[in-house]
Amino acid sequence: MLHTLTSLRVRKLCALALAAALAVGRLDALTLVDLLSDAKMTPKRFAANFEDFEYEYHPEVQPPDVFLSTRRGDCDDYAILADYVLKRKDYGTRLVRVSLVGRVAHDVCYVIQSKAYLDYNNRKYASTLEGSGRRLRAIATEVAASFEANWTSASEYTYDYNTEKKSIGLTVVKTEPPARDPDA
Amino acid sequence: MLAFFALISAVLIAVVVIAVRNINRSEVSADWVNHTHAVILEVDAVLASVQAGDGALRTFVMPGDGRDQSAAREAFSAMSEHLEIAKALTRGEPAQHDQILRLETPANQRAELAQRVLAAWQADHAAALRLLVAADANSATMGEIRRAVEKLKADEMALLAQRDTASYLQAQTTRWTVWTGVALDCLLLGGVAWLIRDDILARRRATAVLKEANAQLESKVAARTAELSTANSKLRAENLEHRWAHQAAEHQLRYHQLVFNSLNDLVLVVTKAMNISRVNPAVIHLTGRAPSALIDGPLASIVSLAGAAVAKPDRLAQALREGRELRAQPAWITDASGRQTAVRLTLFPVRDGDKVVGGVIVLELIRPESPALS
Repeated sequence: MLHTLTSLRVRKLCALALAAALAVGRLDALTLVDLLSDAKMTPKRFAANFEDFEYEYHPEVQPPDVFLSTRRGDCDDYAILADYVLKRKDYGTRLVRVSLVGRVAHDVCYVIQSKAYLDYNNRKYASTLEGSGRRLRAIATEVAASFEANWTSASEYTYDYNTEKKSIGLTVVKTEPPARDPDA
Repeated sequence: MLAFFALISAVLIAVVVIAVRNINRSEVSADWVNHTHAVILEVDAVLASVQAGDGALRTFVMPGDGRDQSAAREAFSAMSEHLEIAKALTRGEPAQHDQILRLETPANQRAELAQRVLAAWQADHAAALRLLVAADANSATMGEIRRAVEKLKADEMALLAQRDTASYLQAQTTRWTVWTGVALDCLLLGGVAWLIRDDILARRRATAVLKEANAQLESKVAARTAELSTANSKLRAENLEHRWAHQAAEHQLRYHQLVFNSLNDLVLVVTKAMNISRVNPAVIHLTGRAPSALIDGPLASIVSLAGAAVAKPDRLAQALREGRELRAQPAWITDASGRQTAVRLTLFPVRDGDKVVGGVIVLELIRPESPALS
């Protein structure tokens, strides 16, 4: 059993090495340490690092270094990493998952000080922050509008890279009166 | 017309207000349809996650592949997420919420079992692991979850049908409202068009009548102008003729005056009553009287027929009344100093038509004075 565990770690390391190998030639490859050690880190500065990242859907959340080295990922990889980094830079953040009609749920990271959210879909634009109210309903409305779609529910959640577990917190349901929202 | 436009505006505003309200209601209905779909998807996702987690767990137990362990963890984590969201989605609907809570118990049992199996595997407790797997083989939890999900889905599908019908009816109401409003506005616009057409026709008729009246007036003015012009020409011609006649008369008068004044014979014009109305300068010269002393005075005061006082003193007046001429009758004329001069008197009656209105008396001096006459 112990042997199997060790071989698992070796394989994970190999995967990391492979990811690093794919990024050959990128001597300036971004790492989590770079992000965390940036003393001037702001939400905009964070977003600026992801302008040339590609979209690639993964059902699970990618470890930060895999996401950063492959430069490929999806909305929850980006939002969770933003939440992880900005929280350590004393920013108040909220991870929000918006369930959209007929689409995969979309995740964004709301930054309280900026009164805006970081959206992986918006990483290539000059203005990388999307202005929005603080409440989940306002964020969900803005996110859904950016997709020109309807939303059904929006949940605040937390994610732990160590346990690889999402914990759902408050959930706002669109059909309920706004006054009955848990964050009203 | 103004009332029609006000009515059209009112209908338009009413249609817009009702349509917007219906669209909002339709949006709410559509939200409920989407909500029901979301519940169904979440419940389905719970079942799918449990099945995926179970499958990954069983696969992991056999060869002990870490990827299966990770997949099992992720599946049960996803199951937990879906359950949480499904609970949130149904918290306003007690019946559905109860069903979710009933589903939560067996689903969590599967998750706990997975945790126990993984813990036993990690602790290398093969016996415990076998026991757990064997116990699970006879477990009805999966069936219970499937039935709960099916029941919930069936209920949600019934709700979905209801909400879809409500949404459809809402859309239909909106459609009817808009079309009714449009039809009503078209009718009103038709009415307005008819009124405008009527008004235009009336204006055209009035214009035609006015034009005709103007034309009549113009022709009357032209005729009257022509008449006036003719009358004016005639008057001018008459005026010219009159002026010429007047000038001729004046000329004639001056000429007669000249002749009258230049005569050496004494000429007196008398009225029918035998009063002097006019004398020539020869009379003034001979009598030595001023014209004012002679005019309107009786003829008898200066002229008398010879022997008149003895025979017929009124012979001169009688001849005039009868309109007879008297020629070369011996007579006397008395001057201012009372001296009498012998003359031969001729009387010409002056007629206006057949009526005698006066007479002209010509006195021819007899030179030298004949005493025989006295």
